[in-house]
Amino acid sequence: MAITGYLAEFSLAEMFQFLEQGCKTGLLNICALTGSGVEGQKNHYIWFNQGRIVAAASSLNQQGLVTMIGQRGWLGDRAASRLSQTCTIGTPMGLCLKAQGALTAEQLKLLFYSQVMRQVCALFELGDGWFQFDPKVPLPAAEMTGLSAPATEVTLAGLRALKDWSALADKLPDSTSALISIIDGKPQLRLNQVEWQVWEFTSGSVSLSAIANQLRLPVEKIQQVAFRLVVSALAEEIPLIAEPISLTPETEPAELSVAPTEASAVSQSFLQNLVGFLRGKV
Amino acid sequence: MEIMRLVVTGPVGAGKSTFIRSVSEIEVVDTDRRATDETLMLKKRTTVAFDFGRLQFGPEMALHLYGTPGQSRFDFMWDILIRKAHAYILLVAAHRPHEFRSARRILGFMKQRSQIPMIIGLTHTDCPGAWDAENIAIALGYLDANRCPPIITVNPNQSASVAEAVIALVQHSMQGCLV
Repeated sequence: MAITGYLAEFSLAEMFQFLEQGCKTGLLNICALTGSGVEGQKNHYIWFNQGRIVAAASSLNQQGLVTMIGQRGWLGDRAASRLSQTCTIGTPMGLCLKAQGALTAEQLKLLFYSQVMRQVCALFELGDGWFQFDPKVPLPAAEMTGLSAPATEVTLAGLRALKDWSALADKLPDSTSALISIIDGKPQLRLNQVEWQVWEFTSGSVSLSAIANQLRLPVEKIQQVAFRLVVSALAEEIPLIAEPISLTPETEPAELSVAPTEASAVSQSFLQNLVGFLRGKV
Repeated sequence: MEIMRLVVTGPVGAGKSTFIRSVSEIEVVDTDRRATDETLMLKKRTTVAFDFGRLQFGPEMALHLYGTPGQSRFDFMWDILIRKAHAYILLVAAHRPHEFRSARRILGFMKQRSQIPMIIGLTHTDCPGAWDAENIAIALGYLDANRCPPIITVNPNQSASVAEAVIALVQHSMQGCLV
């Protein structure tokens, strides 16, 4: 089933986290809305294989990679097309050309950097856009270098470069929340200095505002770093209690008016009676 | 009197108050007030303390239902509710992906405080743009289907549907499943 929505509601960072964690394969189409902050192309296409980004393009004409190779003077369009005809169906064009000696491994890396890292990272600047993820679209061998990157790695790079965070303001972890690590050991992703500093506080007990105080950084900056760690699937936001236990609301039923303790167990016969009673209501 | 306490939680507008009203035999203790801040965009009134509903099904047996406050502020009330509860249902509006992160925050809060049985109830699944259960589970951080709590569809406006949801939660509790 295709997933559609707006980036203002489900941000690109959240979408990438979802696609990576769900090991999704398919095509993500992003259509920039007018006045959304990024000039140029309206449509953007990003292909995923098992949660990793394998290609990106601004059209579906299957000519993006050939054009990039041609622009760099590494191979003419006709030569590339002729060589690609000898490729096994489904083999990424980049790998095929490398196997034939037409491109080097280093050139493939440069192509992938331009095609995916640079183009996709720029999309994080989008204020809003419509998106659709279609899991039924086959992978485009002609647009693929054969290299891939985890979606969260691209997210980290894109969010680090992001200047205007206003579109993500309501997505950021609350300053009263803490972070808790959700991985075993230390992150495999390459974190920058401030990300490592915040990572040291992922015990689930220190609020972001307290972290900001300790690191002597603005709390907004810490919230942004925390968001990066969350959407990179390294940590989870844990809300902390906002107020001490001192107030008793007038509407509080007697059963809850005591200090919090664990609930006493209910009997199996109670549960069976309850199910029987509810079945009568269905 | 033997009492089972169920907590109904979820982001703003997921249907918590309606859920409790649909199954309670008493007039629900209504703590809805005029919404402030971003909640106002979704609904005019929201629960500021909690909803309370009750269902007595025997001389000495009753089910109490507590709905968590709607606005995204975790105060002592949440702590009391979750610590006294026997089980809880997390309601998630399937057509509002922008609330999935809020649902995930609630889950994080609940899981850190209590290991009681829980299920996920998807509401608004027939609305345009609704996500399916499998994808919502991923968005909520359940990546392993074997470790995912039961996910059911529920219409908070229909008593029968709410009763089925409560049955699912009670049966999950009977299995002693700790999710």
